[in-house]
Amino acid sequence: QDLAKKNTANRQVVEHRRRLLQEWLSWREYIVQLVKSEGWDIEGRKEDVGGGEVIE
Amino acid sequence: MRPILLSGHERALTQVKYNADGDIIFSVSKDHVVCAWFSHNGERLGTYHGHVGALWTVDVDPTSTLLATGGADNTIRLWEVRTGKQLKSWEFGTAIKRVEFSPDGRQLLGITEKRQGHLSTIFVYEINPDPSAEQTDEQSLRIVCDEAKATVAGFSYGAKYIISGHEDGTVCQWDAKSGEFLDSVQAHEADMQVTDLQWAPDRTYFITASKDKTAKLMSTNDLEILKTYTTDTPLNSAAITPVKDFVILGGGQAAMDVTTTSARQGKFEARFYHKIFMEEIGRVRGHFGPLNYVAVHPKGTGYCSGGEDGYVRVHHFDKPYFDFMYEVEREQQANL
Repeated sequence: QDLAKKNTANRQVVEHRRRLLQEWLSWREYIVQLVKSEGWDIEGRKEDVGGGEVIE
Repeated sequence: MRPILLSGHERALTQVKYNADGDIIFSVSKDHVVCAWFSHNGERLGTYHGHVGALWTVDVDPTSTLLATGGADNTIRLWEVRTGKQLKSWEFGTAIKRVEFSPDGRQLLGITEKRQGHLSTIFVYEINPDPSAEQTDEQSLRIVCDEAKATVAGFSYGAKYIISGHEDGTVCQWDAKSGEFLDSVQAHEADMQVTDLQWAPDRTYFITASKDKTAKLMSTNDLEILKTYTTDTPLNSAAITPVKDFVILGGGQAAMDVTTTSARQGKFEARFYHKIFMEEIGRVRGHFGPLNYVAVHPKGTGYCSGGEDGYVRVHHFDKPYFDFMYEVEREQQANL
């Protein structure tokens, strides 16, 4: 029974993280579109770095 | 992680900055001297002499041509990075607490301290990126902070907004062209100073650090608090890592401020949190005093910290750092 409880708790933690990750990714998508639509020339990192958050 | 110790300063570090390529670190200290170091091996490249008071702040333009510094001698000085030559000195009525270039390097922002007869102000100069050019004496913008003094500030993406942090824990948004006040949020506990504000690479969001022991991730556009990182020590600095979704927090209680004898003195560690999940991932020890500033390599390959102990510690991230992933992040990546 303890094991079952633990598994439920773990599942909840993972579910929570999954939600946070999805929220974050959709916010990023939204903000990148918004800034683009404002026509701003973003001076971020150079594009060759990769892996991070660069607005193309 | 192999840390490199940069020992050259004689007093507490106040700010450290990487240039855009990440090959040079600039550091300023209460010892009046500005230092430049090679980030890969810690060799000192040069020093910039001229200031006659403690230095509080440094920034380098995006092309690593011009360096700006400010401090307790009430001046902002502009230097040519390559030669160490002082190009300009602007004088003020009070100390300079912060300088920062705009993303394109064509504007420079400064913050003056509040003193009897002087209100804290944020001002902007137009900068000519040519080191042989004459720089202007005219401020293009002045924002007077009469409610609570500004402690930190910077330019958003496209230099559309100026975002400032204040001694009363508020964060404000201003129009960077007109100086018009747009918005204000009580991001941190009332009367708990905002001690740092650093940008995400694209400047659509930023992180603030505060004496209230938290750091907040906030959106540039609407000042929404996206994330809160809770620690057990007053924070002096917070940085966002590119490549990995982490934030690095630095702070610590100075020995003279530790009131309870039972409290573990110090806690002088850089703390890593997951940016999205807000969970602490790890700590890096080393400093013998509070961390006054943490800066991340622009390519996300390492970080450096400037301490009250007078040292800069430079860390290069190892493979395990880059490999580290939460299960849900792996899932996400597999689904792409």
